[in-house]
Amino acid sequence: MSVQPMQETEAKQSVKKPVKRPKNEFSQLEIEKIAPTRDERLFLVLSIFIGVLSGLLVVCFRVAIEWIKILTLGSAPHAGQYRLLIVPALAGLFVAALAQLFFPGVRGSGVNQTKAALYIYNGYISFKTVIGKFVTSALAIGGGHSLGPEDPALQIGAGVASMVARRLNLSKQRLRLFAPIGAAAGLAAAFNAPISAILFVIEEVIGQWSAAVLGSIVLAAISSVVVARQFWGAEPIFRIPTVTLRDPRELIAYAVLGVVGGFAALVFSKALGYLRPRLRALPTWTQYCQPGVAGLLVGLIGFIGFPQVMGPGYEVIDQAMHGQFAWKLLLALALLKILATTLSFSSGTPGGMFAPTLFIGAMLGASVGSFEKLFFPHLAGTVGAYALVGIGVLFAGFLRAPLTSVFMVLEVSGNYSIILPVILANMIAYLLSRGLQPVPIFEVFTHQDGLDLPSMEEVREESELHLEDALRPVDVPVIKGQQTLGEATKIVSAAHAPACLISLWDGSWYALSDEELTSASATTNTDTPIERILPSERAPILFPDMPLDSALHFFPRWPVLPIMNRASKGKLEGVITQDDVLHRYQEH
Amino acid sequence: MAVLQLRSPLTPEERQQRQKLILRDTIALLSLFAIVLLLFFITLFLFHSFSVHRQELAYRWRGRGEKALRANQPLVAIDALRSALAYAPDDETLQIELAEALGAAGRTQEAVAYFNTLLESRPGNGLINLQLARLAAKQGDEAKALEYYQAALDGTWNGDGYVRRREVRLELAQYLISRKRYDQARNQLLITAGNAPDDVNIELQVAGLLESAQDPANALHLYQKALQHKPVQLAALEGASRTAYALNHYLQAKTYLERTLNHPDFEKQPADVQARFRDMLSDSDHILLLYPGPELSIRDRAERILNNRKIAQQRLAACLSSKTTIPPALQALANQWQQLPKTLRLLQLEQNPELEQQIMQLVYQTEQVTSQLCGAPTGDDALLLKIAQAPEAVEQQ
Repeated sequence: MSVQPMQETEAKQSVKKPVKRPKNEFSQLEIEKIAPTRDERLFLVLSIFIGVLSGLLVVCFRVAIEWIKILTLGSAPHAGQYRLLIVPALAGLFVAALAQLFFPGVRGSGVNQTKAALYIYNGYISFKTVIGKFVTSALAIGGGHSLGPEDPALQIGAGVASMVARRLNLSKQRLRLFAPIGAAAGLAAAFNAPISAILFVIEEVIGQWSAAVLGSIVLAAISSVVVARQFWGAEPIFRIPTVTLRDPRELIAYAVLGVVGGFAALVFSKALGYLRPRLRALPTWTQYCQPGVAGLLVGLIGFIGFPQVMGPGYEVIDQAMHGQFAWKLLLALALLKILATTLSFSSGTPGGMFAPTLFIGAMLGASVGSFEKLFFPHLAGTVGAYALVGIGVLFAGFLRAPLTSVFMVLEVSGNYSIILPVILANMIAYLLSRGLQPVPIFEVFTHQDGLDLPSMEEVREESELHLEDALRPVDVPVIKGQQTLGEATKIVSAAHAPACLISLWDGSWYALSDEELTSASATTNTDTPIERILPSERAPILFPDMPLDSALHFFPRWPVLPIMNRASKGKLEGVITQDDVLHRYQEH
Repeated sequence: MAVLQLRSPLTPEERQQRQKLILRDTIALLSLFAIVLLLFFITLFLFHSFSVHRQELAYRWRGRGEKALRANQPLVAIDALRSALAYAPDDETLQIELAEALGAAGRTQEAVAYFNTLLESRPGNGLINLQLARLAAKQGDEAKALEYYQAALDGTWNGDGYVRRREVRLELAQYLISRKRYDQARNQLLITAGNAPDDVNIELQVAGLLESAQDPANALHLYQKALQHKPVQLAALEGASRTAYALNHYLQAKTYLERTLNHPDFEKQPADVQARFRDMLSDSDHILLLYPGPELSIRDRAERILNNRKIAQQRLAACLSSKTTIPPALQALANQWQQLPKTLRLLQLEQNPELEQQIMQLVYQTEQVTSQLCGAPTGDDALLLKIAQAPEAVEQQ
């Protein structure tokens, strides 16, 4: 997931591009003036186009991977075939050359590149990167590298969105939002699960729920899945067997699976975190051969008897879910997949970690399920159910997307009876992984790449401050509008307050500063009711649940702000001043 | 798609610009639509060719797998069938064949796990239950095997359920026989026989199993049923001969044995089989010559009784002389013989049916006791011992 080359090339382009505007193009200012609602309306229409385009491209991408696999590794690769050694090595060398010479932005999975596009490059992903990602990832994955197509599909989708948005000369703000929309579309088509894709993009790319973009993300994801299903059918990428929770005591086994998954996620993260920076630190010329060497080693694993670890391994997940392997073999496959993926990914070969994560999780889950079935047959449910929960477990533990992990299992299984085991196992794995490896893997990669993208885990958990957090009791004088100016002056001077609140007949309020009062006293009769001397302007209506920053822009005008009760109109909950707000932010 | 604002306070120049923007957006969206359309057809073409190729691969690997399975090469079959399944994952037959191959390769644990998973999605599937029964039998888990066999009998079968259930019942009977649970096996076989069509091969198969389940009477009945079919099959004749002989129906056995030996295919049988049937016929002939049947004339019967008496007494004498200390059973037998008149004439016997019966009773008793105490008899003693097992059956038809 190297972003460094992209930084060097695309960052320059992204900075220069807007400056080099063709003569017949409109500037954003012009567009905003002559068609102010254009962007907003185009946004939704383009979301559908992006979804359809991404869906078609991802179908082509997956077909390309399968074709390359059949043409290079054969229709049924099995241990002992020399091509298992040669093909991944050659594919690695070729892909490395392409990446170094023509497509510097294609290394890695695509998730961090999409995040970088969103946060650094104003949503810019070049056409070259999209093409490069498509070609190199298809070659690497089809050639047997232990990587998956989902993350590249995510980046391809984001790239398509970026290209479309640029072509239509949308505003910079909109351009930036299109990257996650395309990402959701690409991922949804690759995984044939729109809800999971949407949640993943929200959890891992945007980091928070944003109403501004959610509608478009949903539209794009659904459009792309509809297109993908026209080709692949409505079934998930692997067939889901019957999944049920037969006996509540089974939850113990699911808890064990959570622990096993948590530790496996830790091992996987540590392995990647250790090897990747070391390989990147080697001289530049080695980057031409690192993917080749990684391919050779992955091929060796296949050659000696475990060809299942090569490629994304969906059919192996399917077989594991349908109980075709004994528990020892499943465990061996999980461990070897960790090794193979670590080698492939750390070498900088383009490809994603989504599918390997699913693979490892499914193998571990099926292994635990088969073990239980063998030794505690009266307690065990279906092996498929364990494999499915295992997928969620690794997703929660390794990719650290807990919400996606739960909904993904529910979405692909279409069965809510498994929700309890899923939540239990995922929660255990997530907490365990988080406790033992505080920095999520995507963040580790961004740090290794020298970037400082926002931590999605922190963004998700960031608590927003509200007015109620800075609220204090009403400690300024409260004066009725009918009271005279003289009475008000007396009350305010007796309280030594810098301001007072004037309660008016219609339930509105005015925050009167000491200076305003003194000035009014000097020019007006003291018997005049105070409401008569007030301007028509009123204090803003604020409630305790509103964001704290919503009060900031009122302070230049108002010395103190009344905070109202939503349940009873005109009733004060308290007051806040600028100092209160700033003090609260400093404490946060 | 720029948005028209009908009453916008725009200058004529700005309106012109807006129209240009609308035109440009429209062209952009149309070109986008054209790109989508083009990409759709490219994808369709790619996907179609890919799908066709996948089907071809599935067909090819299935052929290889099935061939290997038939050639008893389960390891090759496993690889091939797994490959086929990768291209046709929903093919139920392939799944079952793969599990069968796993079982055949001795990877019983994997096969059981696979079949169990298949069973979870198709719990009433007869074929899967049958395969699980076979695997349980292979693993020596009798209770599980019987449970799965029963589930297979109660399960669903594609199209040929009637025939497949009968095959399962026969297989279950064979398994029960191998576990020496003859009563249960007999029940299954009788149910099969009761439901089976009037087919000579089925009758012969069931009759053979009934013989193995130690039920020669029902087996004989089925062989007789099979003999009603023309042309008469040698196997039916052999079975009828064997079972009649085993039931001590020597007269009946003789008839069947003679027909067996006269059957044109008999000479094609192995020599030891031929010899066995010839021996049986010879024994039957001799037994019928020894047996004092009620249909004989009074004189003939008396002569046979006197002859049998002589044979038994000689056997007893030989047995007594071989013992240094005489066992009580043998002594009691000798005493019983001494209570009978030492010399008997034919006339005496002809006039005294009770004495005849008493002598024959003692003859049978002598052969039985001496066979236990002085070893297996030979010659006429052996034949008399056979008669002693069920004297009334000898001439039964």
